[in-house]
Amino acid sequence: MSKLLTQRLQALVSIGCLCLAFGLCAAQENKTVIGPSNPDLHNGAQALLAGDAEEGVRLTLLGLRHASNTRERITGMSNLCASYVMLEQLDTALSYCGQVLAQNDRHWRAYNNRALAHLQMERYIDAEQDLQKAESLAPNSRKVKTVRAMLLDAADPVAPQIVIDDRRQPADNDGD
Amino acid sequence: MMAIRAASTIALLVAATLSVADDTANVSASPDDTGERMPLHTVVPKYPEAARQARVEGEVEVCFNVDRRGRTRRVAVRRSSNRAFEKPAKKAVRASTYRPLAEGRELSGIKTCRTFRFFLSPVVIETP
Repeated sequence: MSKLLTQRLQALVSIGCLCLAFGLCAAQENKTVIGPSNPDLHNGAQALLAGDAEEGVRLTLLGLRHASNTRERITGMSNLCASYVMLEQLDTALSYCGQVLAQNDRHWRAYNNRALAHLQMERYIDAEQDLQKAESLAPNSRKVKTVRAMLLDAADPVAPQIVIDDRRQPADNDGD
Repeated sequence: MMAIRAASTIALLVAATLSVADDTANVSASPDDTGERMPLHTVVPKYPEAARQARVEGEVEVCFNVDRRGRTRRVAVRRSSNRAFEKPAKKAVRASTYRPLAEGRELSGIKTCRTFRFFLSPVVIETP
């Protein structure tokens, strides 16, 4: 797959785990953590954000081996879903997103990424259902809005049209 | 005044040079009416991509003066259904021109208003 396509998909998938990887969540539990709590997971997310899906998968799988809690596991699987969407291995992506949602049915990134996978598979009804979930959980997310636009363009394409109408107006009606 | 008002309501189809800023937008135009100042170069605004993606349609009326050389002046939005369309509409008007005023003729002081209707039509895709 071309690097360009990977980068385009990378811009669309929702990659999470920075909070977890940097240990902020641990800090919220009154632990002092300097640096990533799970370096592989963190580096995997960084690789994904840089557009390197293969490396992202490799590191995230490594990170999942050392996952110390449910949140790390969910984040890792969510990022694997995103990775496989980027790699266009959509069945694998659906599997990981499904695993995330089985453990947390309010994970908007997984719904969004699964909608994107469905969209690429031209399963518009499934994509719509997942997208509605993502929109209800994260109504202001730019990623969700982008996938909504993609779904609309795929399922309900429109052509922009502009009509220009010129009319003279007396100057004394303009108030200036 | 009545004559002006009556003239103002008559829309004549006058051939104008259309400059399409957005290749993807289909455009239809019904240029100026009285014939006093003929559009010379009509620039069509670009449909804002965010509005297209969100399936937002709208209408903007922009009013302006035309100077002796045919350039648009004092461009202002008079009416708008959505702010997203105001900037492209004003930009298009500023880039548009009219035929210069003939020697010995006076500027009328009549403001020209141009309405832009931005809408989205369904695309019909044929499957083989």
